[in-house]
Amino acid sequence: MKKITSARISQLLFLVLFLVMFLMTEYRGSDRLGVAVNAFFRANPLTLVSTLLAAKGWVPLLFPGLLVLILSALLGRFFCGWICPLGTVLDLVAGRIRKSAPLSWLKGRVKYWLLVPLLVAALLDINMAGLFDPIAIFVRALTFFLHPLIGETARSGWVELYRLLGERRDALEPGYRILKDYLLPFRETLYPLAFLSALAFLFIIFLERYESRNWCRNLCPLGTLLGLLARLSPFKRVPAQLCADCHGCAALCPTSFDRELLQKEECLLCMECQLRCPHQRVHFRLAGFQPAAGGPLMERRLFLGGLVGGVFLARFFRFRDPVAQVRLLRPPGVRSEAEFLEKCVRCGECMKVCLRSALYPAFSQAGVEGLYTPILIPRLGYCEYNCTLCGQVCPTGAIPDLPPAEKKRQVIGKAVFDKNHCIPFAKRTDCIVCEEHCPIPQKAIRSEMVTERDFSGRSVTVKKPYVIEELCNGCGICENVCPLEGKAGVEVFAVKDRTPIAESAGSRAQASDDPYQ
Amino acid sequence: MDRRTFLRVLGLTPLFGQWLIKDLAAADGPVVAVAEGRDYALITRRAIDALGGMKRFVKPGQVVVVKPNMGWDRSAEQGANTHPVVVRTVVEECLKAGAKRVKVFDRTCNDERRCYVNSGIEPALKGMKNVEVKHIENERFRKVVLNGHVLKEWELYDEALSADVYINVPVAKHHGLSRLTLGLKNVMGIMGGTRGSIHKNLDVALADINAVFKPHLTVIDATRILTAHGPQGGNLADVKVLNKVLASTDIVAADAYATTLFGLKPEEIAVTVAAAKRGLGQMDLKKVRIARV
Repeated sequence: MKKITSARISQLLFLVLFLVMFLMTEYRGSDRLGVAVNAFFRANPLTLVSTLLAAKGWVPLLFPGLLVLILSALLGRFFCGWICPLGTVLDLVAGRIRKSAPLSWLKGRVKYWLLVPLLVAALLDINMAGLFDPIAIFVRALTFFLHPLIGETARSGWVELYRLLGERRDALEPGYRILKDYLLPFRETLYPLAFLSALAFLFIIFLERYESRNWCRNLCPLGTLLGLLARLSPFKRVPAQLCADCHGCAALCPTSFDRELLQKEECLLCMECQLRCPHQRVHFRLAGFQPAAGGPLMERRLFLGGLVGGVFLARFFRFRDPVAQVRLLRPPGVRSEAEFLEKCVRCGECMKVCLRSALYPAFSQAGVEGLYTPILIPRLGYCEYNCTLCGQVCPTGAIPDLPPAEKKRQVIGKAVFDKNHCIPFAKRTDCIVCEEHCPIPQKAIRSEMVTERDFSGRSVTVKKPYVIEELCNGCGICENVCPLEGKAGVEVFAVKDRTPIAESAGSRAQASDDPYQ
Repeated sequence: MDRRTFLRVLGLTPLFGQWLIKDLAAADGPVVAVAEGRDYALITRRAIDALGGMKRFVKPGQVVVVKPNMGWDRSAEQGANTHPVVVRTVVEECLKAGAKRVKVFDRTCNDERRCYVNSGIEPALKGMKNVEVKHIENERFRKVVLNGHVLKEWELYDEALSADVYINVPVAKHHGLSRLTLGLKNVMGIMGGTRGSIHKNLDVALADINAVFKPHLTVIDATRILTAHGPQGGNLADVKVLNKVLASTDIVAADAYATTLFGLKPEEIAVTVAAAKRGLGQMDLKKVRIARV
């Protein structure tokens, strides 16, 4: 049993905090969420840097990230060794994984080849850093894979109990209720990319078999960024090298002593070497600013290659299937696709928190550049009229946090009837489920009474629905509840002009609509 | 009944005494009790008491389902859901009558969590002993043979089916297709499957279900009614405050009377007509005794 160090305590606390915040990223009866896992992204320097580069302006939500950035420049990569929940998971499993030799191809400058193109792409308005952000990878694995899997398992067990016990199951209800209220997701949503999300996470764990913290020191773009800052840190370990008579640090150190000299940009400040030095020689102390060892910050080849890579990323993955664009619906409040791609960090939180499981990660709908960005699929879930949760949890404001009155007027798309499918048109019988569910108080879906002959020649009066376009916010409930199987008779289509519905809209058309006038 | 209510009823008795006796004398034909007042708890109790009190329906030790309409993510004042005070009072009366357990639920249209909370019903019942406010669980729907005119069978909620007493507590409001939604349509809250698909024959389909599944008591909340843009509303301009609660053992009679509150005739509501034709109750208000209390 290893001695419990303060770094380890801090790691575990932050891991617990992360998991608790993850579970709290869910509606529990209050319109505003007190806490959400977005705190980890708002304090994430990679999110900060990539978003600021892409948005080319200050994003107030990301202020905590700036603090961590400054602290990292002073202290080094303390985030990786004391806070990062993914790093903690790696430390927890690392002991159980037998190591073979480090992978030599990872030892070069691979990590810079990952970070620099991502940042250059951000500068060119495509913020893809989130795809490789460790916190985002962790949240996505939980949101899309692990949490629904646990939910699904628990839920099907509970259903099975009902088949066995019938109403006698109610005796167990209090216990299940606690589980359901605090640990399980409210809906067991099946997500596309669940497998890929799990795979990314498992890949990082798999890398542990080559060396400890393999991901953190050789790939992680957040760690690499913090490593660059760590070079500036006046906080130094002495002695900087392994002592000739001992070499004990090499075995203790999780990251930076595979060479003789301490690699400052890989040191996680776990302080194991100081605590366990048999001669009490090791200290971390302020040594003033001095140029860090470890070669030039950036070679010309890397700089130019990064530029080219970034341009490549930002410019050559923009192909989009035009047919898919017709149905590319973004969360409420997103007015411009370009602006959205600048800020969306693909963390998956909006999809986690979405009340009706309306949001899903894009696979190919938004092109490669839009991988993992949220899209609304009305047939699976609709945007709840009074709900503002996705805007509340978005760490960068890519989905704006709007007051309910304003959010209700945001246009996601516009509903269009397909008369070949819609029941009153195609079958000449009543339906109107869409009008019933339309949440707009003045009704964006209305109907007219039409008397016609049905297919057997009898005269029938049928209510036929139509859309008041100036009132429709594209929430998608009409498409969601359409009783037709498969394809709905009414569908929401993307629109370029997403100007919010005017507050006075509909009053003109409303006058004649009251059946009691 | 608390002392104040008792005294109030006692004081009012001479006024209505003649009337009450007439009611009791004509023991045939259904009664619709109509209570009016600003105290919604009081008028709910008065309406139930006019039918003989909750003890007539609920016997000690029984399991009762109180089924409000709380299908929409709307606040109490918007009139899309049953008023929480009315629901709470009905639940309290059941407990007072000795109910072992009172279950309150609805299959909602909007997100169930938001509906339960924002209708005000879940908060109003919070902390009450022996009262269960749970979301619908899909596995509990059970196929029920209806042998109706359009529906041969449908999935209904087992907690509603197995309850000793079922009390229907709808809100009176406008509906885009059926014009009004009242007691008969409130049964949709215990239906599983794709409920929307019965819209093509809504009146007959609802008669099919109501013919098999009959509430013991219907309490219609007309404290405020939604007169347009139902069943969801959302605009307070569409809400009319009436301060009324109706109660009857005859669901068709209750619906028929409630229809008049909208300035409509019972014959204009196809759902009511279809149910009356099926013999589920009396829609001819001339044959219904209205007990105003």
